Amino acid sequence: MAEANSKPGESLDKALPSGVEYDEAIMAQQDRIQQEIAETSQLIGDHEDLLLLSKEYSEEDNVYQGKIKDLRSKYKCFRRTRGDGNCFYRAFGFSYLERLLDDRKDLERFKEVAAKSKDMLVSLGFPAFTVEDFHDTFMEVVEKVEQQIPVEDLLATFRDQGLSDYLVVYLRLLTSGYLQQNEDFFVNFIESYASVKEFCGHEVEPMARESDHIHIIALTSSLDVGVRVEYMDRAGSEEVNHHDFPEGTEPKVFLLYRPGHYDILYK
Amino acid sequence: MASMQKRLQKELLALQKDPPPGVRVDEASVTKSLSTWQVDMDGAPGTLFEGEKFQLLFKFGPRYPFDSPQVVFTGPNIPVHPHVYSNGHICLSILTEDWSPALSVQSVCLSIISMLSSCKEKKRPPDNNFYVRTCSKNPKKTKWWYHDDSV
Repeated sequence: MAEANSKPGESLDKALPSGVEYDEAIMAQQDRIQQEIAETSQLIGDHEDLLLLSKEYSEEDNVYQGKIKDLRSKYKCFRRTRGDGNCFYRAFGFSYLERLLDDRKDLERFKEVAAKSKDMLVSLGFPAFTVEDFHDTFMEVVEKVEQQIPVEDLLATFRDQGLSDYLVVYLRLLTSGYLQQNEDFFVNFIESYASVKEFCGHEVEPMARESDHIHIIALTSSLDVGVRVEYMDRAGSEEVNHHDFPEGTEPKVFLLYRPGHYDILYK
Repeated sequence: MASMQKRLQKELLALQKDPPPGVRVDEASVTKSLSTWQVDMDGAPGTLFEGEKFQLLFKFGPRYPFDSPQVVFTGPNIPVHPHVYSNGHICLSILTEDWSPALSVQSVCLSIISMLSSCKEKKRPPDNNFYVRTCSKNPKKTKWWYHDDSV
């Protein structure tokens, strides 16, 4: 039902904005915030020095400043991604394909995995003709990588909102597909949803829904691509902790996690 | 814009060729830009809506399929259902928050048929009068509060 922002009643109606005005105001504000984010940050940014990170925190913030120093000893630079709720998928997609530009052997393996993935999704009940659209676009980009396009062209692809979102959708579908295929295992980690399918419908397939460990495990397992996430949060010492997904694999993609957001790291 | 039309063209063909039972696209209603369609729908046999006929109006924005379509019941018969307001607005999470670009006109139709079919008592939403009096014409401008998937 519609959210009752104020109770029915003539006097109240006149005194307060009606429910619809509240709703529209909230949505207009959400749109404005999204637009502001879009204007100030690219979907995938340029290489930046990690030293720039330290300016984002107070000089007296020993935990963060310590962690940035530690990060600088392990990585050369980073690229920011736009904080639009799709950052994990976009960061992962770009960073891995960028790496495949220089790794012919892994590219062949990946192309095969990606090519087969459409049938897997259709067999799980995803509508064939919508999946096909996203799959075809995804494969076109993989083929461009095979032709070894310059990294600037790959960057342009990921900065083109329409194309970039097509790629994000496909990665979301792969994540959902893997979770559903391994339902017996993942059902143990799902709270507040009755089934893995329901979880995917609410938390994986819609755009802008943020990613948690479970999404990362599913996507990296589905494509068999190792990802190392460096955690920069308040926890613990002045060193960044990392975690590899799936556990024990050799990482090919390096991501920086700050609460609620993923950027791309370079060795 | 181009990708929106390409996608809708594909959906239209698929729905004309292989529609779910009880669903028909009203071809005369489809605008040239494909941004508005009307879909006729029969109440499913063996449900409270058996024998009834409904019309759904779909409107697609330039960001479709990334933005959900605007979907309302229209015409003389609006189903009496706890999630359907008498002005045709539908409270269904896939039409706003849970929309995914992998969904389609067909999957929206199937969800609406399923919503109608599982109805146990024909009645309007409890806040119908208030909502209909105050809401925007566009149901996507309502901040819906989904609270019960079982009806």
